[in-house]
Amino acid sequence: MSKKLPIKRMSKFFSEEDFDFNVQIGQEYLHGDLNMKLVLYRVDTESTDTDAVYAEVGKDQIKFFPPIEFNALVKIEPPKNESYKPGLVRYIEPGNMTVSVYISHLQDLGVDIKYGDFIAYPETEDKVRYYTVSNDGKVTSDNRHNMFGFKPHYRTITCVPAQESEFRGI
Amino acid sequence: MAIPKRKNNIKVYQGNELMGRRQELLDKITQGDSYLPDSVLHDDLDLGMLDFVKKNFVVVSDGVQIPIIPKILTLQRWGEFTNTWNFSDLDGNPSIPFISVIRKPDVQLGTNPSLQRTIPDRQQFHYATVPTWNGTQVGADIYKIPQPVPIDISYDITIVCTKFRDLNKFNQIILQKFTSRQAYTTVKGHYVPIVLDSIEDNTPVNLETRRFYVQNYKFTLLGFIIDDEEFEVKPAVSRLFLMNEFIKSNNFEKKYLTKNLEITVVNFTADGVQTIFSVGETIGILFNTTINGLLQERGVEFNHVSLTSKISFVEPPREGSNVTITYYKGRSSVFIDSHGNVRQVSTEYFDYSGGGLSFTTVNNIDSVISLDLNGLLLEEGSDFDITGGTEVTLNGTPRIGSRIGITYLF
Repeated sequence: MSKKLPIKRMSKFFSEEDFDFNVQIGQEYLHGDLNMKLVLYRVDTESTDTDAVYAEVGKDQIKFFPPIEFNALVKIEPPKNESYKPGLVRYIEPGNMTVSVYISHLQDLGVDIKYGDFIAYPETEDKVRYYTVSNDGKVTSDNRHNMFGFKPHYRTITCVPAQESEFRGI
Repeated sequence: MAIPKRKNNIKVYQGNELMGRRQELLDKITQGDSYLPDSVLHDDLDLGMLDFVKKNFVVVSDGVQIPIIPKILTLQRWGEFTNTWNFSDLDGNPSIPFISVIRKPDVQLGTNPSLQRTIPDRQQFHYATVPTWNGTQVGADIYKIPQPVPIDISYDITIVCTKFRDLNKFNQIILQKFTSRQAYTTVKGHYVPIVLDSIEDNTPVNLETRRFYVQNYKFTLLGFIIDDEEFEVKPAVSRLFLMNEFIKSNNFEKKYLTKNLEITVVNFTADGVQTIFSVGETIGILFNTTINGLLQERGVEFNHVSLTSKISFVEPPREGSNVTITYYKGRSSVFIDSHGNVRQVSTEYFDYSGGGLSFTTVNNIDSVISLDLNGLLLEEGSDFDITGGTEVTLNGTPRIGSRIGITYLF
C-alpha cells in the first residue's frame, strides 16, 4: 500500500475543500459551458505487431484500446507553409494541438494519456483530425500547474498532427 | 619447375561482332527516316532521367508501390499541384511516402571524358553520304553534323517516407544499380551515363513536429546536346571540271559531255616521242581512242589495261597529232543508265568480204556509240542503220577487205 502524505501547506488560506471546489468550478465551465470533447486512442503496445528490428508499424496496423471521450481545453496553433525540398514539394503543416485536461477528470475516467497515444479532434461534423502525443505533460511540478502552490490540478499535453499513413482511427 | 602453359591469344570477340554492334547502335540512333540522328536537347535528357527513375526505382511499401511524382518539378506552383493531387491527403498535401525528381536549373558544360576534348569553332563533320535521285540522275547528299555539346545535368531524387524499411529498400536499389558508379539511360537510342554523386539525409528530427524521413540522392547525368538546327546537308560533287597544265608543249584538254551517261573526252597533242597517255583517273569503260580522227584498234594499235588511267600506243603518234580518248570514268566496267538499267560496252570488228551489208553482233544493241570504217567514223541514219536487235546495216558498199568496228551498249 502506497504511503500517503497529507498536504497541509497554506492551510491557513487554502484547503483540500477549496482545491476541490475550484476544480469543480473549472470543470463545470470546461465540461459544461465549453463542452470541448476529444477522443483518446490509447495504443495497445502489447497487441500491436511491430517490426522485429525497427519497431515500426505499417499503415492501419496500430492496435488501440477502446476510444474514450474526454473533455479538455484545446488550443491549436496556426498551420505552417512548409516544403519537403527547399521551396519545392510544398505542404501545409497543421499546427500542433495543446490540450489542457484536469487530472481529476482523467482519474474519473480511469485512463492515462501517454507519449505516442493518439487523440482525435473533430474539427467539423465530417472532418476529424488526429494527433499524436509528443509531450504527455506528466511532469506537473511547476507553479503553473499547481493551484496557488497547493497541488497540481491539470496537465498540459502537446500533440502533433498524425499523418494518414501513421494513424487514421481505424 | 616448368613454367605453366598459358594461353595468351584469347579471342574475346569473334569475327566482326564489334562492327555489328556498332551498326546496331547506329541504326537505333537513326531509326527515323532522315538518315540523321534526332535532336537530343535538355528536355529529352530530362525525360530520359525520369524514365530511368520510374523504371528502376520501384519501391513497394505495405503492398503498394511508392508513387513517383511523374514529372520534373519546377517553380510553377500549379505544375507541382497537378502532379501531386492524385496522392494527396485531405489537406491537399502530398501523402507520404513518395519519390520526387528535381532537376537543378543550372546546366553545366559536360565532364564526360569521352566528350571533354572538344574541337573548336563548331566545325561540321561528315556523318553520312545519302544517295539521291532527281528523276534523271543518281546523285548524293553529304550530311554533316558538328560535335555534340557535352552537358552535365544534376538531379535530386528524394524519397519522403515514414518507415525505415522503405529507406532501406530504396537505398538498396540505388546502391545495387550504381555499384559501378554509373548506370545508363537511353535517350533516342543514345546510351547516356548517370553518375551517383552523393547520398544525404535531410530528415528533420524535432520533438514537436510531424516526423518523416527525407533522403536525398544526388545524380549527375553526363549528357550531350545534338541540335538538328546545326545539321548541314549539301549536295555531293556530281560533276567535276579538271584542267591540267603541262610545262612541256603537251597540250592536255579535258571536257565533259552530259548525255544519258557522263562520257569524258580527253585530247592530247602528241610530241612524237610519247607513247603512254594518262587521263589522270580510272577509265571504267574505254569507248574509243583516235589519232587525228582515225579510230585506233585496241590490242593492235594501242593497249589499255582495264580500270587503269593509261593508254599505251605501240608506236608514238606523230608530233602534233591530236590524240583523243573517250571513256566513262569509274571503278567498274558497268554503269546504270537513266532508267536504272545496268549497261555494258562491247566493241566488235568485222572484215567486209563482199555480199550483204548487214553485220550481226553478239549482244542485243541498246545503242551504238560509234561505228567506224577503216578507222573513219560513220554517222548513224545516213551511213548506217540499226536494223535489228543484233544487226547493223551499212547504207553504202565499202571496199572489199574493209574493217568495220562497232562499239555499242548492250
